[in-house]
Amino acid sequence: MKPRGKNWSRGLTGSITAFVLAAVAMVYLSYALPRLLPGDFVSAMYASSQVTLTEDQEAELRAYYTQDSGFPSYLARIVTLDWGYSYAYLTPVSDLFFEALPWTLLLLGSAHLLSMTVGFIAGVEAAWRSGTRTEKGMVAGMTFLEGVPEISTGIVLLFFFALQLNWFPAVGAETAYAGTTGWERILNIMHHLILPLGTLVLAYVPGNFLLTRNSMMMVLHAPFVRTARAKGLPPGRVRYAHAARNALLPLVTRLGLRLAFMITGALVIERIYAYPGLGSLLFSAIQARDLPVIQAVVLVSSLLVLGVILALEGVYRIIDPRIAHAH
Amino acid sequence: MRMWRFKGGTAVLFLLLVVLGGTSPSGIQAGDRLEEIRIGDGKGDWGYPNPYRHYPRGPGYIRMSWVFETLAWKDEAGFVPGLATAWRYDSGTTSFVFDLRKGVRWHDGRPFGPEDVAFTVRYFKEHPYSWVPMGTVAGAEKSGPHQVTVRLAGPDASFMTYVGATMPILPRHIWEKVKEPKTFDDPEAYIGTGPYRFMAFNKAKGTYLYEAFEDYHGGTPRARRLIYIKAGNPLMTLLSGKADLVNIKPEMAETLKGKGMVVLENPRGWNKKLMINHRKPPFSDKRFRHALAHAIDRQAMVDKAHRGVGSPASFGLLSPDHPFYNPNTPDYPPDPAEARKILASLGYTLEGDGVFHKDGKPLRVEILASNITVAGESVSDRDGEVIKQQLEAAGMRADLVHLEQATTDARVLNWEFDLAISGHGGLLGDARVLNRMIHPDMTGSVNSARYGADPELLNLLAAQIREMDEEKRRALVHRIQEIYADDLPAISLYYPASMSAYNPKKGIRWFYTQGGIALGIPIAQNKLSLIR
Repeated sequence: MKPRGKNWSRGLTGSITAFVLAAVAMVYLSYALPRLLPGDFVSAMYASSQVTLTEDQEAELRAYYTQDSGFPSYLARIVTLDWGYSYAYLTPVSDLFFEALPWTLLLLGSAHLLSMTVGFIAGVEAAWRSGTRTEKGMVAGMTFLEGVPEISTGIVLLFFFALQLNWFPAVGAETAYAGTTGWERILNIMHHLILPLGTLVLAYVPGNFLLTRNSMMMVLHAPFVRTARAKGLPPGRVRYAHAARNALLPLVTRLGLRLAFMITGALVIERIYAYPGLGSLLFSAIQARDLPVIQAVVLVSSLLVLGVILALEGVYRIIDPRIAHAH
Repeated sequence: MRMWRFKGGTAVLFLLLVVLGGTSPSGIQAGDRLEEIRIGDGKGDWGYPNPYRHYPRGPGYIRMSWVFETLAWKDEAGFVPGLATAWRYDSGTTSFVFDLRKGVRWHDGRPFGPEDVAFTVRYFKEHPYSWVPMGTVAGAEKSGPHQVTVRLAGPDASFMTYVGATMPILPRHIWEKVKEPKTFDDPEAYIGTGPYRFMAFNKAKGTYLYEAFEDYHGGTPRARRLIYIKAGNPLMTLLSGKADLVNIKPEMAETLKGKGMVVLENPRGWNKKLMINHRKPPFSDKRFRHALAHAIDRQAMVDKAHRGVGSPASFGLLSPDHPFYNPNTPDYPPDPAEARKILASLGYTLEGDGVFHKDGKPLRVEILASNITVAGESVSDRDGEVIKQQLEAAGMRADLVHLEQATTDARVLNWEFDLAISGHGGLLGDARVLNRMIHPDMTGSVNSARYGADPELLNLLAAQIREMDEEKRRALVHRIQEIYADDLPAISLYYPASMSAYNPKKGIRWFYTQGGIALGIPIAQNKLSLIR
């Protein structure tokens, strides 16, 4: 296959133009939507606090936090890559974002990659063994797992592996202020990662498995697979180089969309395991009506969705050249 | 909202697992000087620990209180010396004179003195700190080498609680250069005289690190390091030895006691409350509010929604455990028949559908409910459902609307509601809480009734703050409770059980503070636990 020819880029220009237009719309929506939330930072922070404000105090605080909050200044900040200051922390939003981002990438990135790999291989193998007890058992097991919410899996794993067996820590991404460095720190982080990662992998694998298996079932009876078998190719090559590759498209779509929602996708797990991440950051920001933080996370995640969709266009063309010709 | 409901289910599932299974907390050895103490917290992040950067909630103030100190402090019995060893009120000059502790040093080694206190008063007047009402403070001056006098604009009976035991003293040599305190984020912004020095705060992880201040005037702090961690599940965090102290839900208490943990129960200083939009008919008629009170069975609410843990609240707002509590306030025993009788007297007619009607329209009320933050932890419950059922049983058509807390708060602040479930503490602290929770000037609080329709009540509220004689003030506060319970601009529902649990093997004794820390924070994290 030679995907990077003229055909490959056919139609991409239109997609890029649509992407830019959508991005402009997103910039406005990321400004306007959070402002539709009832209440503001001052009422969210003070209204039910120990502190009772008089009208003057309230007005003074509101004036302080709403200065420089018009759309033109928001636009100007975006153009200059200035993310603004968080109302709650009074620190740059970019600091908050990039403090949380690595943990989200670590947890969700590895969860998606691992669950895609496991789900894909298991799905291919199950389809290849179609009709056998192994395949039926796998389908039954995965269908069951698919129905179990990740919050339940998380609690059960916590109970057995953290509380009963004491094998893994119950909370956090690493032991707070343990003073570890180098490999010791990496091992500490991995140790903390296993339970939340395991919970997410158990939640994501069944979907990937069932999708791959179903796609493979359709492909396995296609003439080109029969031809490959007739040529006497080794079974592994027939499965993966010929059949599975053609069954990959739906899985790539699924992975792409999952990645796009990666920023806020693990909120439940982040809260069960008190794991830091962008989901918790956005959740807290919405509770506190911390508009600069909400705007930044909403804008970045919506641009990520657009970016992933655009990237998928290109990836599809590599996997299945017929798509380029369809334009 | 869905997530929080889910979380409630999760807690029950988890508790069930713990009860069914046997667990053994990891062994912790007691010692004279502990290496560290870890406190678990459900939310984790409460802002930076200085007056201008912590969140305006109790846990934010507590994090600051390890670093900054006040003139007086409180323990489980009441006021104790802080940076001042003694104080007295001079009625002739309407001022408080404080004798300051000698030999106190700031974390940077500089000596503390009366100039710092006088400066702090001036600074907070110029740059208000929302926790300390400076309206009645006229100024402060050094009146001796170790003495400072704080002049009041008029008598203020709540001064010691709201200023003396709440106002963190700032180092003059640092803050006198600071023009924008909110954005001051230098390491110097965290220099206090407290037992712990602030070292680090990780916003994403919600963790805090403090280290003992070895030159602390009150002796060497018991633990070298104090660490706050974010704890998704307090039960798990405590039992697995990851934290030494956590806030817990009442249903966890017996399990934790069985595992050798000490469970503390807060006195009745926090109440769940039904806010009423008394500005709009029919809620503006106090007889209608009386009907609401009779329609609600508060003990049934505790039994159904809280497994019987908690007790009905006083209609007069102050806690029965408060020294100024008036036991003879109007009472509204649960009596749907009485509620229906009052409604009938107001011109409502009970129709065949079991609902009262007036002018051809059914009597319809909307109840706003949300998860309320208690001691820093968001708590979900079924209070809204129970009230809805009870009002319907009394002949009202009740619509329950469950919203996220900030949305509910916004609607209550803007008077866009009929009834709303809310809650607040401070009911065991200074009686100024009555002013904060009743007076119409408190426009920024969803917990305040903001009720100004009764001139006598407003006069009494002003008078009780000015009255420095305790017995006379008690009489005024008694009368305020009577009028409040009769006018009923809001209905105090019940005192939920608020609990903490700690591992006693560390040798630290945690406790709830008399009247709450500072102006009434109901959290068992008093710094005296790590000093004494």
